[in-house]
Amino acid sequence: MSDTINVTMDNKERDDIQKLFGKHISWGQVRYLRCANMDVYERTRKGSTFTDAVSGERFFDCFSSAGCFNVGRGNTEIMDTLRDALNDHDMGSHGILSQAKVSFAIKLASLCPGDLNKVVLCASGADACAGAIKLAKGATGRNDVITMKKAYHGHEGFSLSANGKDYYKELFLPLMPGFHIVDFNDLEEVKRLAGKNIAAIVLEPVQGEGGIHVATMEYMKGLRKICDENGIMLIFDEVQTGFGRTGTLWAMEQYGVMPDIMFTAKAIGGGVYPNGAVVYREIKSLTEYVEANPLFHTSHGGGTDLGCIVSSAVLDYLVENKVWENAAKVGKRFKDGLNEIRRDNSDLVKEVRGMGLMIGIEYQYEFVGALMADCLARKGVWAVFSANAPQVMRFQIPITASMAEVEELLRRIKAAVRIMRVYLIFLKPLAVIPFIRRILDNVHVQIIAFNLIRDVEEFVGRLFPKKQEVKS
Amino acid sequence: MKKSATQNAVSKEDIFRDAEKVFSVSLVNLLRGKGHDFLEQGYAGTTLNDSDGNRYLDCCTSNGTFNLGRRNAAIVARFKEAIYETDQGNFIMPSQEKTLLARKISGFVPGNLDCVLYGVTRGESIEAACKLARGFTGRPDLVTVDGGCYGESGFALSLSERKGKEQFGMLIPSVKVIPWGDAETAAQAIGQKTAAVVMEPIQAEHHCRTADKSYYAQIRALCDKTGAKLIFDETQSGFGRTGTKFFFEQIGVTPDILIIGEAVTSGMFPVTAMVFTPELKSFFDIHPLIHLCTFGGHDLGCLVAMEALDEYNRLNPWDNAKQIGDILIKGISSQAAKNSDKVISVAGRGLLISIKLADNNMALKFCAAARNAGLLVDTGSVDTSTVLIRPSLLICRYEADKILDIVAKTLLAI
Repeated sequence: MSDTINVTMDNKERDDIQKLFGKHISWGQVRYLRCANMDVYERTRKGSTFTDAVSGERFFDCFSSAGCFNVGRGNTEIMDTLRDALNDHDMGSHGILSQAKVSFAIKLASLCPGDLNKVVLCASGADACAGAIKLAKGATGRNDVITMKKAYHGHEGFSLSANGKDYYKELFLPLMPGFHIVDFNDLEEVKRLAGKNIAAIVLEPVQGEGGIHVATMEYMKGLRKICDENGIMLIFDEVQTGFGRTGTLWAMEQYGVMPDIMFTAKAIGGGVYPNGAVVYREIKSLTEYVEANPLFHTSHGGGTDLGCIVSSAVLDYLVENKVWENAAKVGKRFKDGLNEIRRDNSDLVKEVRGMGLMIGIEYQYEFVGALMADCLARKGVWAVFSANAPQVMRFQIPITASMAEVEELLRRIKAAVRIMRVYLIFLKPLAVIPFIRRILDNVHVQIIAFNLIRDVEEFVGRLFPKKQEVKS
Repeated sequence: MKKSATQNAVSKEDIFRDAEKVFSVSLVNLLRGKGHDFLEQGYAGTTLNDSDGNRYLDCCTSNGTFNLGRRNAAIVARFKEAIYETDQGNFIMPSQEKTLLARKISGFVPGNLDCVLYGVTRGESIEAACKLARGFTGRPDLVTVDGGCYGESGFALSLSERKGKEQFGMLIPSVKVIPWGDAETAAQAIGQKTAAVVMEPIQAEHHCRTADKSYYAQIRALCDKTGAKLIFDETQSGFGRTGTKFFFEQIGVTPDILIIGEAVTSGMFPVTAMVFTPELKSFFDIHPLIHLCTFGGHDLGCLVAMEALDEYNRLNPWDNAKQIGDILIKGISSQAAKNSDKVISVAGRGLLISIKLADNNMALKFCAAARNAGLLVDTGSVDTSTVLIRPSLLICRYEADKILDIVAKTLLAI
């Protein structure tokens, strides 16, 4: 097989790629995604959609790589900026300053509220999370950190220790001591723990991976008060919520609560080049520490020249087009539409929640996650259930989506729900029996069963092949 | 709530003032201390320019990243095309880009290191490696040697000899640090609870420290005996830097997990990876998506890396690194002998060369004086009295002579 990436792939090429991916990366990952019809090979990435290389079908991207595509996919302004930057830039020398690095940092700080004026450039959300926790620990001289159940901050040592789900941690123990995991939106637990040993409280204003749980106003204001009273650094993880996703440039703006430290990544790269950042307040306790330890967190792949040029263009695009206003407007219609679906299908959909275009729907049953992903994929909607909560499906389409696209997306979701209702005729009576319910919810059972169904489907499909065409 | 941005900061002084404001005054002062207080503006091949129009031979290469020179023409050309073919992709999905790069890396790396997990920083790949070793073996202990430098993230920092790391409180437990080259202590430390032994086979930031082949062989044997996994970090020594594709080929010991750094794209895109044996991959088959990285396996980055690997295979820059490296090491060693009051020793392999000076201050002075003479070098981060010479692997004899000339002048000047 050649190294060329063609616009389409036939079934044989797809099989070859799957085999190679299985051989060199993970066969388990192929089977896992295949079971929910999510093993799509992305091509022609445009706006809110991408095409599947094999079928040529166009899919709505409801995952956006967990909220990365805030300028839309295939944004030519950003792509052209990167192409032009290649005329005279590469990553740049680690540790040497350039106009690209400094002007991006200044621009980012200028778009952050209040005295969030100081920046550390990083390479990814996890890298930035590590930087933020190191800053809080270093500046306070304290060890312990309070984080939230179901929280997701990344997979490196600091961020993994801060994660609120055991699955990601239990095979890699022991992790860093002194991380206290508390219930989200429960101030009492934080009050009990808050003291002179706590360096930081870390949270996502809207938990993404955890299942789209929105922090309450009372909780955020309460945390700020507790931090002020105890000299604790309040850290917001705006990796997924940042850059307009929730309807304002930063989710924190909707609460009017300032963190001491904020970190972000994902959408900062415009979908084309990695970058990330920690932004912190210009207050004595933090600036004194950094002045004494200017290299407390350095990042080789972060804050590169190319990355900073792209990220500056991303910020310009977001600001010029006030993309967050679109996220708020379109997000409201989308949420209303999903609530209509919920009202008509209350035995299937339990709750719709979220802010802007960071919306989740919680199903009545855990096993519905994979099955519904399958139904949606069949209707050209690529959506992912939350890793930390399989009964929750996340809808994070690019925030440049138009109202017409959202209406079309809602139509497709309704069509997927209709397929789902057929499955439910058989599954609902079974799910009443606790033993069967456990089997249905078991991810391993799902992988085996759905892969078998896919095998049969593909076998039949190859006996009666459909003519492939690329739809624009 | 919005503030106004500083508009059109154009002069160098303005940008430095902005850097003091947005980063820190002490960071800028640190750069001043070693003569790195300039703005990088334009680079190509073996050189870089500053905003005042001065040109330098780049012997930092961003810690041994720009192995095929700055802005290698073939990679840049492919990169420009690839922007319009793909983007980062949805990270949890398999993609043709990720797959084809994995196959290419598997073909490039010697031995049975056929499987790949991508990262975006060196540290993140170290994290993945430590986690894979713990997950696969079901054991907690990570054994490492002193003098290491692996990155700034959690596991990486816990393993590194890094000044001030105690500021960050309790790091990853069950990390045992043993003295470099001491086989007896290694035999005591590596046991049935050891998940992995982690080391850079050549410690670039620690005066390019190496050991006898027998030491590496003993570590390998201890790992085989106890079932511990051997992890080599070749972020700096990989991709031809030391005169072979990877340094481990010179010592005759193959690790179970190899960390490769941004040299995989020759510094055009932040891509790193851990490359490991098929035996270890079974862990990811049973536990898919247990270690995620949004920017790791970036589809666009994969296409850039594929082109870079083609360039590596076309140019075999390790041959040049060996040849020119030998000339440089010999030349610098003879200058060191003439300046024995200033130079303690010279070490290194290929084009990864370290000059150990009398003290930290002298190393900083060396950097500043070299810059004035047109050579960009940096100090080692673990042994800060060292200065590293890490040029592009494609430098020619003329440029090697220029490096020797500047090193000679710099040693006289400090």
